[in-house]
Order: sequence, then structure tokens, then C-alpha cells
Amino acid sequence: MTTLISSLRTTLAGYINYRGREGHYSFLLHRLTGLGTLLFLAIHIVDTATVYWIPELYDHAIAIYRLPIFLVGEIGLVFAVIYHGVNGLRIIYQDMVNPASWTIARQRRAARWTLILSVIIWLPAALIMLNTLLAHL
Amino acid sequence: MTTTTANVKPKPNYEATAWKWMRYSGVLLIPLVWIHVAIQDVIVGVHNIDINYVAMRWANVGWQVYDILLLAFAFAHGMNGLRQVSFDFFTSEKARKNLSWVIFIAWIIISFIGAVAIIGGARLNLLNS
Repeated sequence: MTTLISSLRTTLAGYINYRGREGHYSFLLHRLTGLGTLLFLAIHIVDTATVYWIPELYDHAIAIYRLPIFLVGEIGLVFAVIYHGVNGLRIIYQDMVNPASWTIARQRRAARWTLILSVIIWLPAALIMLNTLLAHL
Repeated sequence: MTTTTANVKPKPNYEATAWKWMRYSGVLLIPLVWIHVAIQDVIVGVHNIDINYVAMRWANVGWQVYDILLLAFAFAHGMNGLRQVSFDFFTSEKARKNLSWVIFIAWIIISFIGAVAIIGGARLNLLNS
């Protein structure tokens, strides 16, 4: 148990204290967006499956998603899905297609562009969803 | 002095194959997930989604196939990702093996719940209203 806790602490400290700038931040963001999306996905599979298993529960599940706090979360979820995809493509490109681009300078530039591109793709969706959110307040 | 380098191709093991499939499924998931999110979250929106909407979508075999692919690839990709992240925190062979089993069983159960629902469709006849 003590070794488990110390290994958890070592890993978390590494996540936080490592100073790899853009590469480090995109690693953290990739993990956070991935785990966040997975958490939602697991819940989403089960709540959607109620239409078959317990149909009268489905409208209650959807009512929760219509709460403003969940609508804000949904806008964040869309960013997570977009960033995770764009960053995944960057990793695949730099890793499998063009390994010569794994230099620190190019990696940093690519990581910054990944974030910019993700925000550009996300913004129109976010504005439409924000508009819907405000219309239903 | 001359140096010779040999191209050593190790036999692919389970982890190497799983790692490669994270990339393949990732590429496939970009159109699958983005189109799904664009339609359901952005264009249709959660305010227009109810059980009749789900029933209508799953009455179409094309969307059933689409959602089965989404379920299969997205959830497997996510659960294997969780396994890989958890390996950062749990370093002993035994802990990793146990974790892999727990994640695998959770994956099977939730995938089963979802797949039966997609194939079976919305059971509007069970609603008493």
C-alpha cells in the first residue's frame, strides 16, 4: 500500500513538475481530454441504452443533460473531442509519417498549431451551442 | 572502426499491436465521432432529442451500423487508453494484470449493454403513456 501511494505520488509529481513546455502541456491535455471523453462516453452508452432496457428512464436521463451546467459541460466535451482528434493526428504524423519532425522546436510549433486549429474548429460549434443554451434559459 | 547496424524487427507482442490499433482506430474515429457530435450536439441539440428521436434513428439500418462502429471503436479506444494511463500509476506486473482484467470486463459489460440496445432499438411499446 505504501509503495502504491508513493508510486502514485511520483507519477503525479512528474505530470505536474516536468518542464517540457508545449510538449508537456499537449501530453497533459491529450490525457485529460481523453479521460474526460471516456467518462462521458461510458455514461452516455448506458443512458442511451435505457431506450431498450428501461425505456421510461430515458426522458429522465435527457432532462439531466438539459440542465445549464451540463450544457456548458457539453461545450467543453466538444472541445475535448476536437482537441484529442487534432492532437492525435499530430502525434501520428510526427511519429509514423514524418519522424524527422520530432525536433523540440518543430514539436513545440506543431503543439501550438494543434491548439489554434482545435479552437478554430471548435468556435463555430461552441457559438451555436451557446446560442441554444441561452435560448433555453 | 566500422559499425554495422542491423534492422532488428522484434516479434510484435500484444502491447505493440494494441498501441498500433490506438492509431488506426484514432484516425477512423475522427470522422465517426466528429460527424456524430456535429449532428447530435450541435445541429439537433439535446433539447430536440427524446426516445422517439432515438427510435426513428435506429429504425434505419445505416445509423444502426454507424452507431455499432462508433460503440466498438470509440469505447475500445477509450478503455485501452485508460489502461495505458493506469500503467503510468501502477508499475507492478501483478497490479497491471489485475487492472487490465477489471477494465476488460467493464468494457465487455458496457459494450454488451450498448450493442443490445442499438440492435434491439427503442422499445416504445413498453412505455405506458
